Amino acid sequence: MTGKVRIAQLSCGPEYSGVQKEIEDAAGSVDAEIFFPDISLKEIKKSFAEFGLDVRSPDLKLAIARAKALVEGRIEADAVFIATCFRCAEAAIVRNELRHYIASNSKLPVVSYSFTERTTSGTLLTRMEALTTIARRRALLARERQEGLTMGIDSGSATTKAVVMRENEIIGTGWLPTTGVIDSAEKVIELALAQAGVNRGDIQAVGTTGYGRFLVGDHVGADLIQEELTVNSKGAVFLADTQHGPATVIDIGGMDNKAISVMDGIPGTFTMGGICAGASGRFLEMTSKRLGVDITELGPLAMKGMARQVPMNSYCIVFGTQSLVNALAAGSSPEDVAAAACHSVAEQVFEQQLQEVDIKEPVLMVGGTSLIQGLVHAMGELLQTEIVVPPYSQYIGAVGSALLSSGFLKER
Amino acid sequence: MKEYIPVAKGTVTKYVFIESVSMTPGDLAIRAYEISQGAMIKETCFGLQVTGTADEVDRIVGALRALDPDHIFVKDRGFPPGDPRRCRADRGGARPGFHGHEFEMSLIRHVSAGLEHIREGKDSEKTEPAPAALPPEDRDKKLDASRLKKIIEALES
Amino acid sequence: MAKIFIYPGTSLILSDLVARFGHTPLGAAMAIRERVQTAGFESPPLQITPEEPKKGLKYAAVEVPSGVRGRMALYGPMIDDADAAIIVNEADLSFGCMGCARTNELLVFLVKKRGIPVLELMYPRTDEEGIAFVKRIRDFLENLGRKE
Repeated sequence: MTGKVRIAQLSCGPEYSGVQKEIEDAAGSVDAEIFFPDISLKEIKKSFAEFGLDVRSPDLKLAIARAKALVEGRIEADAVFIATCFRCAEAAIVRNELRHYIASNSKLPVVSYSFTERTTSGTLLTRMEALTTIARRRALLARERQEGLTMGIDSGSATTKAVVMRENEIIGTGWLPTTGVIDSAEKVIELALAQAGVNRGDIQAVGTTGYGRFLVGDHVGADLIQEELTVNSKGAVFLADTQHGPATVIDIGGMDNKAISVMDGIPGTFTMGGICAGASGRFLEMTSKRLGVDITELGPLAMKGMARQVPMNSYCIVFGTQSLVNALAAGSSPEDVAAAACHSVAEQVFEQQLQEVDIKEPVLMVGGTSLIQGLVHAMGELLQTEIVVPPYSQYIGAVGSALLSSGFLKER
Repeated sequence: MKEYIPVAKGTVTKYVFIESVSMTPGDLAIRAYEISQGAMIKETCFGLQVTGTADEVDRIVGALRALDPDHIFVKDRGFPPGDPRRCRADRGGARPGFHGHEFEMSLIRHVSAGLEHIREGKDSEKTEPAPAALPPEDRDKKLDASRLKKIIEALES
Repeated sequence: MAKIFIYPGTSLILSDLVARFGHTPLGAAMAIRERVQTAGFESPPLQITPEEPKKGLKYAAVEVPSGVRGRMALYGPMIDDADAAIIVNEADLSFGCMGCARTNELLVFLVKKRGIPVLELMYPRTDEEGIAFVKRIRDFLENLGRKE
C-alpha cells in the first residue's frame, strides 16, 4: 500500500474536549490521516433506523450511520477509529456495538478509545501505529516462519528482553529489569548473543518493540521498529502454535495491559489500558515486596491461597496495597494475600478491558506476568476457560520482533 | 502546545440561505457581487456566505433579504468561508452543522408561509393555534376516547 | 434589543427569526467566532482547547464527560447572559455543537432554572404550523420589548 493510511473517525465529543488535534497528530505521526465519512442527512436517518440502536445523541446517530456506510462499502477506508467521551454510558454502548458490528461485518481493523480532556497524542500513538500496521503491512504480518539468523528486542517499561532466533528456533535469550533504555538493551543483547553463541555481526536482521522501540531501534540500526500490539499477537500465536483461526492474547504489562482479539495471527480488535496501576504487573511486584518474597515466588504462593479470604475493596494500587497490609495485620496468610492480589488484577483486567474485545479460544496469556501462575489461574476462573501460556511467554515481544524482522533478511 | 494566531479578526461571516421559487442561489450571488464593495462573497449549495466588517455585512445582508424577504434567511457563522478546519474538501466529511442546516432547510418553506402570512397582514385574523405553536406537552395530548370510538365505528360501518 | 438564547444553538431558523424581529440571537456561531478570533494555543478544528472542559466545571461536575463540559463552556456563559430564550424541542438532527443529548438536556434545564422568559415550540410540519410558529415567536419577542 502506498500513500497515507486513511482512518475513518466515528466519534462524539473529541472536538469539544479539545483532543481532536491529538487524535490527528497521532495519526499523522504514523503517516496516516483521519477523515470523516461524508454522508447525507437522508442516509443518516435511514441507516440509524436500520441499525436499530435508538440513542438520543445526534453525533452518535451520525457515528452509527457512518459505520454502516463503511461496512456496506459506500465509503472506503483502510481502518476505523471510534472515540467517545470517557464516562458516557450512551456513547459506551454505541462504541461497543459499532466495534462488534464493524469487526464482524468487514475486514476493517478497528480500535476504540474513550478519551478525557487529558488524552494526548502520545497515549494514542501505539493504537494508531497498530491500526496502520494492520492496514498497511498485512503481507509482513502474514509471516508464519522465522528464517535466517535474526534478533528481536523488547524494550518494555519494566523489563527489557532480547531473543536470537535461527531457522524458526530460539537459540538465545536475555532478560533484565529496565534501568537505562539503551544500557539495558545492550546488556540483554549480549546475554542473548552469548547464549546463542553467535556474534553481533552475524545477525541478518533486527526488530525492536515496546516503549523504548524507537530509541533502541535507532541505536542498533533495526530493520523493523514496531509497536507491541501487532508484534505480541504474532509472537503469541507463533509460540502457541495457533497461527490459524481465532485466538485471544492477554498481556498484563508493567505499565499497561493489552487484550487483543486475533484472527490468523492478525489483530482484529484490541484494547490497551493503563489508567490505573492497580491492574498492572507493578501492583503484583509491590505485593511480593510487601510479602517479602521474590516476584517469581508470588505465583506458587498464590496457588496455595484463597482470594476470597481477603477483603479487597479497591482497584487502586495505593488503596489495594493498603487492603493487603490490613489483611496481613488482621492475620491473613501470605498465601491468601498473594491470591487476592492476583485475583484483583485479573478481575480488573476482565471488567475493564476484556469486555471490549471478543474473547475467542484459545486464550493466550503472555508477557512476564504470565509466569505468575496465580494470576493465570485467576484469569482462567473468570473467563471459565483453560488459559494457554506458551513457552518463552515472557519473551513474546522479542520473539515476535525476531520473527517479523526475518522479512528483512540481509547478508551481513 | 503551538501558539494560535487568530484568523479573520474583527470580521463577521453570515450565511444567506434561499428557498424560493422566483430566485435561485445563483441569482442571489450575482446580486451580492454587485453590491459587495470589497466584502467577500462565497457561494454555497443553499445560498452564500458574506464576510466583512459587521456594518458591511449587515448592509449587504439587508439588501439581499429585501429581494425576497420571506424566502431569504440569515445566520451567523463562527468561521470565515473556506477555513480548512471546517471545509469539506479538507475534512473528508461535511462539517457537523451542515446536516443541521439540511434538516432545517427541508421544512423552512413552512416558516416562509408564516412570514408571508404576517406580511399580508393576515396575522390579526384569529388562527387556530397549530400544534407547532403549542408547548410540547400539548402536542402529545392523547386522543380523546370518545373520538377514538367514533373513528372505530366509522371504520366498521 | 434583547439577547435571546436559541435552542438548538445551531438553528438557522431561530437565528434568522430572532434577528429579523429586532433582537440578538445567542447561538453556537457566536461562541465559536469568539474562539476562532482569539489568540491562544492551537486546537483545531474549533479552537476549543483542553482548558474548555475545565471551564465547563462551572456548569457540570467533574464526573460529567469532557465533551459535555466542553460544550457547556460554549453555551453556559450565553445562558447566563440571556434575557430570554426560545427552545425548539427537537434537536435530534442538529449535530456537532448540539450533538450530545446529555448536554442538550442540561442546557434546557439551566435555561428554565434561570427564570427568564422562555418560549417552547416544535418544528413546523405544515404551513399552518409554520404560520403559528412564526406568529408565536414574533409575539413572544414583541412582548419582551413591552416589558422592557
